[in-house]
Amino acid sequence: MGAAGTGPARPSAGGEPAEASAPRSKLGEYIFAGLALALGIFVFVGAFAIRLPTSGTQVGPRVFPFMVGTILVISAAMVIVDIARGKLGDLEQGEDVDTQAKTDWITLAKIVAFVAAFIALLEIIGWPFAAALLFGGVAWSLGAKRWWVALLIGLALGFVVYIVFGGLLGLSLPPGPLLTWLDPLLQSLRG
Amino acid sequence: MDNILSLMEGFATALQPQYLIFGFIGVLVGTAVGVLPGIGPAMTVALLLPLTYTLDPTAALITFAGIYYGGMYGGSTTSILLNTPGESASIVTALEGNKMAKLGRGAAALATAALGSFVAGTIATLGLTMLAPIIAAWAVNLAPADYVALMVVAFITVGALLGSSVWRGLTSLGIGLFLGLVGTEILSGQQRYTFGLLPLADGIDVVLVAVGLFAVGETLYVASRMRHGRIALVPVTRGWRSWMTKDDWRRSWKPWLRGTAIGFPIGTIPAGGADVATFLSYASEKKLSKHKDQFGRGAIEGVAGPESANNAAAAGVLVPLLTLGLPTTATAAIILSAFQSYGIQPGPQLFTNQPALVWALIASLYIGNVMLLILNLPLVGIWVKLLQIPRPYLYAGILTFAVLGAYAVNFAVADIVILLFVGVLGYFLRRFGYPIAPLVIGLILGPMAEAQLRRALQLSQGDLSALFLSPFAAVCYIALILIIALGLWLRRRQSRLERTLAAAAAADTSLSAAVNQAWDAGERPTDVKTSDIRVQAPAEEPPTEKGSRRRGGR
Repeated sequence: MGAAGTGPARPSAGGEPAEASAPRSKLGEYIFAGLALALGIFVFVGAFAIRLPTSGTQVGPRVFPFMVGTILVISAAMVIVDIARGKLGDLEQGEDVDTQAKTDWITLAKIVAFVAAFIALLEIIGWPFAAALLFGGVAWSLGAKRWWVALLIGLALGFVVYIVFGGLLGLSLPPGPLLTWLDPLLQSLRG
Repeated sequence: MDNILSLMEGFATALQPQYLIFGFIGVLVGTAVGVLPGIGPAMTVALLLPLTYTLDPTAALITFAGIYYGGMYGGSTTSILLNTPGESASIVTALEGNKMAKLGRGAAALATAALGSFVAGTIATLGLTMLAPIIAAWAVNLAPADYVALMVVAFITVGALLGSSVWRGLTSLGIGLFLGLVGTEILSGQQRYTFGLLPLADGIDVVLVAVGLFAVGETLYVASRMRHGRIALVPVTRGWRSWMTKDDWRRSWKPWLRGTAIGFPIGTIPAGGADVATFLSYASEKKLSKHKDQFGRGAIEGVAGPESANNAAAAGVLVPLLTLGLPTTATAAIILSAFQSYGIQPGPQLFTNQPALVWALIASLYIGNVMLLILNLPLVGIWVKLLQIPRPYLYAGILTFAVLGAYAVNFAVADIVILLFVGVLGYFLRRFGYPIAPLVIGLILGPMAEAQLRRALQLSQGDLSALFLSPFAAVCYIALILIIALGLWLRRRQSRLERTLAAAAAADTSLSAAVNQAWDAGERPTDVKTSDIRVQAPAEEPPTEKGSRRRGGR
C-alpha cells in the first residue's frame, strides 16, 4: 500500500461533463425519448381496452392508466423538445465510470450474451456450472487477465451459493445432471 | 412518556442476541456495499427481499434498516479515498475529503465523517423517536383524498427534483407507474397490459425491477465505459487513535450539529433527498467558516457538515415512511415493499397495530449507529482492502448475485429474462441521464396511489374537486409548488457550485500529484497540522475555467 496516491493527473471527468467529452449523437436520445412517448400513447390507448365493471361506474380501472399515459406523453414530448434545443442528458457519473470514454458496445454485447447463455443453460447444466460460466464470462469480458482464474472463482462461488441455499435456507437451485447426488446430502444436512 | 416506555421495550427486543446478530449483519453488509462502487443499499435490500420468506418481520426489517444506515457510512469512505469522482450525493465530501487525503490528512477526514455520521444518525434517530408517534397520531385522521395529495407531492418532487432535468425525471416516474400497472387489477380481476403473458399476470416483481435497474443496469453501464488502469487509492497513514487533532475536533463539532439540523428536516419532507441537504450544509459551512480559503483545498468543515447532513437526512426519510407509508428514496421504497410482503402497511396504524415491531426497529437504529461507529473507525483498513477488489471480478460477482436474486423470487427462468430486459432499460436510462429513483418509487407507490385515488373518488361519488378541497390536501398542493420552486432554485445554485469546485479541483491536480509522487504519505511537506496549512498553502491563481484547462489537462 506504499504506492504514491494519484499517479498521473487525469482530466477531471466531474468537472467538464458535456463540453469535453466526444460530441454525442442526438439520435440515441431521440430514439429513447420517442420510445417513451410511444409507451405513453400505448398506455393511453390500451386503457380503452380495459373492461369496465357493469356496476358501480364512477371510478373504474381505466382512470389511473389514463393518468399514467398522460404523464408519459407530456414528459417524453418535453424531453424531445429539450433534445431539439440541444439540452442533452448528463451521463450518470460513478466511481468506475469514465464519462469521456466511448461506448464499448462489444463488451456490452458480450455481457448480454453471457446472461442469455445463463438463462438458456441454467436448468440444463445446473446452477453451479451456469454460475461459473456467467461469472467467468463477465469477468473475462470486463478485462480480467486470466480467464481460467475467473472461471475457478465463479465455480467456487456457484458451489458455495448452491450449498448455502440448499443446505441452510432450504431453497434448492437446479443441480443439473452431474450433481443430482448432492441434493440428498444437503437434505440430510438440514435434518 | 408512553414513547420512552415503548422505546425501552423496543430495546429489550432489539438487544436479544438473534436480533443483535441480524442488526450486525445488516450494518456490516450495508457498509460493504456502501464502500463498493457499483452497488448501493437500494440494490442490496432488493436482492435480500426473498429473505422475507424465511425470516420473521422484526429480523428482516432490522437487517434492512442496518443496510440502509450502513450504506450511508460506507459511501464517505469511498469518496474520500478513491481518487475518482463519484455520484453527486457525495460530491462535496469527495472534493474536500479527497483533498484532505491527498494532503496526508485522510485519517482525519475519515474520522470526522464517521463521527459526524454517528452524531447526526443518533440525534436524527432521537428526532424520529419523538416526532413519529405524534405524526402517526395526527395522520390517523387523514382521508383518502389527503393521501392522494401526499403521494402526488412525493411523485412530483422526486420526479422533478432528482436527476438532471425535470422532464427526464417525470418520464422515469411514468415508466415506473406503467410497470406498476402491469398485472391483474384487484377490484375487477382483469389483466392490464400483460399481453396475455403468464409471467406478467401477477405483476412485475419489485425485486426484478430494482435488481435489474441497479445491479444489471449499473454493470452494463460501467462495462460500456469502464475506467481502466490501476485503482487509484489515496493511502492513509497514522493509527486511528491519533486521527483527529484537538483543532480538528474544535472545527468539527459545530458542523456536525449544523449538518444534523439541516439534514433531518429536509429528509422528512420529500424535497429531493440527501443531495439537497449535503449541498446546503456545505454552502452554510463555507459561509460560516473562519477558514474560507481552505474550502476547495481540504477544509475539514466541508467533510464534517455534509456527511452529517447526509446521515441525518437518511434518518429523516424514515419519518414519512413509517408514519405515512410514504417513501421518498429508492431504498425507502424497497423497504416499504418488504413491509408489504409481510402484509404490513406502514402508515399511521403501524404504531398502534405493530408497536413491538416498529419500536424494536427504531431501537435497532440506535444500536446500529454504535456498531457502525466501531466498524468505521478502527476497522477502516478492511474497507480499504474491499475498495481494491479488481473491477472485473466485482461486477461479475454483482451480476451473478443479481441473477440468483431474480431466480430466487419464483424459481422461474422467465424472471431472469425480465431481469435482463429491465437491466437493458436501466442501462439506457443511465446513458441518457434519466434518474432511476423516480422509476422505483413510481413502481412501488403507484398501485397504492391508484387504490387511494379510487377510494377518494368513490367517497366523493366521482367529484374530482373533492381531491383538492380538503384543507390538508390544499396545503399539500401549495407546499408542492413551493418545494418545486425552491428545489429548482437550489439545484441551479448547486450545479454552479459543483462546477466551480470541480474547476478548482482540476486546477491543482497537477500540484498535488507532483507532491504525491515526490514524497511518501506522511512525509510530505504538506502533511502538517491543520493550523499550519493556511500559512504554507501556496498562493494559487483563482480557479478559472481557463486555468483548469491549461494546468489540469496535460
